[in-house]
Amino acid sequence: MSQVFDIVLLLLLITCAVAVIRSKDLLAAAIIFSAYSLIMCIIWQLRGAPDVAMTEAAVGAGVTTVLFLVTISRTVRREK
Amino acid sequence: MKKALVSALLILTAIPLLLAVGQLPPHGSAKSPAYEHVSAYYLEYGAEEAGAENIVTDVILNYRGFDTNGEVTVIFTALAAVMGVLLLGRESRHPVEQPTYPPSIVVRFIVRLLAPFIAMFAIYVILNGHVSPGGGFQGGTILGALAIALTLVLGENEARRLIPEGARPWLQAAAPLTFVGIGLAGLTDVGVYLGFPTVETLTWVRTMWLLMLEIGIGLGGAVIISSIFWTMEGER
Repeated sequence: MSQVFDIVLLLLLITCAVAVIRSKDLLAAAIIFSAYSLIMCIIWQLRGAPDVAMTEAAVGAGVTTVLFLVTISRTVRREK
Repeated sequence: MKKALVSALLILTAIPLLLAVGQLPPHGSAKSPAYEHVSAYYLEYGAEEAGAENIVTDVILNYRGFDTNGEVTVIFTALAAVMGVLLLGRESRHPVEQPTYPPSIVVRFIVRLLAPFIAMFAIYVILNGHVSPGGGFQGGTILGALAIALTLVLGENEARRLIPEGARPWLQAAAPLTFVGIGLAGLTDVGVYLGFPTVETLTWVRTMWLLMLEIGIGLGGAVIISSIFWTMEGER
């Protein structure tokens, strides 16, 4: 059962990674990247690394996304 | 042509990587290199020798304290670089008076409702880093995120007042300064930079020093994250 869950998470992770690269809308890319971090956070927790999971949730999903959003709001939203 | 070349290179890189993955020991295996060598020693003696129940805290702040000292300096340097690039050559800053689009009542209510709980949780994570997962880095980031959320609701001027102007440079450098302080304490006390007293009965001193490091990293991290945000957001 937990193996099925692992595989689903990893497939979601790969989907997110590909979607971030292929998205031309940078706002969408930043938000998908935040989802990628959340999935990664669950994987860390399942692998028994709660310290890393907390860091991933706070830095990866939270602060990095905010900094990306500020950067987008100061530059352009669409990739050329 | 270009696409075929890229695909060929990707496949050539993927083959050795996948072969290497096949060689890895199964998850949780006691024979894996991660559980042998030095980690076995940390797991057995770490809690008593280093002063914290949480082995991760023991490793990053005590056994590998020198690495973490460099790490917090890197974070401080990142802030210096952001401020250097964005603020250089500007005589006076013009902070945004109010956000151009004031946040809706839902956002304002939720942030105001959650703020004390988030602050409480961040302080808990920082102060409990030596017993439970978490610590200065994690708790500091949560505090920094709280400062960012408050900026959205209160506006930049109001939120900046949370950190007194005079103390700000010192707080931004809090993490490296705490490390140097503890490092020098170790130098005078034990004779090694960042050395912790090894006497059996001095566990409380080790725990105390770890706690001071956690608080320094937490405060410094929170102030650095909010300062980077304010520097990026304020200049238009």
